[in-house]
Amino acid sequence: DIPVLVSEDIVISQPAKILNFLRKQKYNADYELSAKQGADTLAYIALLEEKLLPALLHTFWVEAENYCSVTKPWFASRIPFPLSLYLPGKMSREALNRILLTRGGPPLYSLTEVEAQIYRDAKECLNLLSKRLGTSPFFFGETPTTLDAFVFGFLAPVYKVCFPRVQLQEHLKQLSNLCQFCDNILTCYFRLTVSGHSPAGQDTADANLQKLTQLVNKESNLIEKMDDNLRKSPQHPPRKLTTLKLAAAGEESSLLSRLSP
Amino acid sequence: ATLYFQAFLQMCNLPIRVVCRANAEYMSPSGKLPFIHVGNQVVSELGPIVQFVKAKGHSLSDGLDEVQKAEMKAYMELVNNMLLTAELYLQWCDDETVQEITYPRYGSPYPWPLNRILPYQKQWEVRRKMKAIGWAGKTLQQVLEDVDQCCQALSQRLGTQPYFFNKHPTELDALVFGHLFTILTTQLITDELSEKVKNYSNLTAFCRRIEQQYFEGHDKDSPATAAAPAAKGPLLR
Repeated sequence: DIPVLVSEDIVISQPAKILNFLRKQKYNADYELSAKQGADTLAYIALLEEKLLPALLHTFWVEAENYCSVTKPWFASRIPFPLSLYLPGKMSREALNRILLTRGGPPLYSLTEVEAQIYRDAKECLNLLSKRLGTSPFFFGETPTTLDAFVFGFLAPVYKVCFPRVQLQEHLKQLSNLCQFCDNILTCYFRLTVSGHSPAGQDTADANLQKLTQLVNKESNLIEKMDDNLRKSPQHPPRKLTTLKLAAAGEESSLLSRLSP
Repeated sequence: ATLYFQAFLQMCNLPIRVVCRANAEYMSPSGKLPFIHVGNQVVSELGPIVQFVKAKGHSLSDGLDEVQKAEMKAYMELVNNMLLTAELYLQWCDDETVQEITYPRYGSPYPWPLNRILPYQKQWEVRRKMKAIGWAGKTLQQVLEDVDQCCQALSQRLGTQPYFFNKHPTELDALVFGHLFTILTTQLITDELSEKVKNYSNLTAFCRRIEQQYFEGHDKDSPATAAAPAAKGPLLR
């Protein structure tokens, strides 16, 4: 059951329980909020879970291309064998189940209709969040609160992970204040530069490295050829020349000796 | 849900007549209740009915700015997420309530053996859904705490205002009224659920105010008669 918080000897597993534990330890991001703002937090969290979560689950776990090329390898690489063969598939099935049970049913009869509806709802939810955020850095003014953490938790994966099928990400990128919000939190609390460690950045770095290696290889091949040529190219001829001269001198002297009475 | 609609339509000043039918679910175009029959058209379910009414020129939330509309939608989701799910949980996952109240109520319009099979099927569906969203592991106490948290949020949002968005009622007021009134008036094994709501005096005052303003004097459409069909099961859900 994830996420899990381990603090000294205590292990706590659900988000609500983790938040309660932290509050008891006197860590509370909502201390400055009024009662009404606290109520708003609950309401917006409900909105995220109802309207945005189905589309998020779909993008990560149900959309075939995304799941096979990104999510499954990513999760499988972090889970020990042999669970890595079984767990991602199970999570995918649970996600589909949840989507169909909560959003499927008449008048939506096929998976494509359900998908269309959940993406419409998700885009509407993103628009609502953007309107609510406006121009402030965080949802309740200058300092972040629980709601900011929740929204970030939902938006950041959509914003940063590079999927082949990206309709939700494209919609999000049009809402510049939400993108700014995510980048802000990433730089302040995760110490990443904006172009930082996203898989896309890694890929371009890898590609560049590959090109560089190829160039270096070509150069070293050329150098080797040059070396070979140098070795093959004659260093002995100068000695031959001297012997010829001597020989020539020798012949001359024998001629001379023949010529002399 | 029916009560939410009646309240909503009354608030729009649209005259309505509530009719009870045992085959209501089959008459509805989507299979879900409630639905309205206007002239030649039949429209079912919350979203489409609100859109339909809006298209005819009646809307309760036109006076709100964008941020308020976002807030209204968020609170409506909170009510759906917490109160509706808690009501379903109580009706279908709490064994005592299920045996004593829900099974007889849901199965009453049908002859044997349908009156056994249909409630059992419905219960199985609801339990599946609860499991998918993570509510299956919750105890009754936890569910009641969630309801309390939701009521506290609604109470804090309402404050001392007459309606959630000050002077004029909106869809949110109709929805909250629908749920809270049902919780306050429906007979269950224990009164714990209604006690949770009664803890918040501004919420009970809110319900009474809406009842007086929009339902008194309309005998046929009064909430008391609308709640009675609850005994017929399928009509309200």
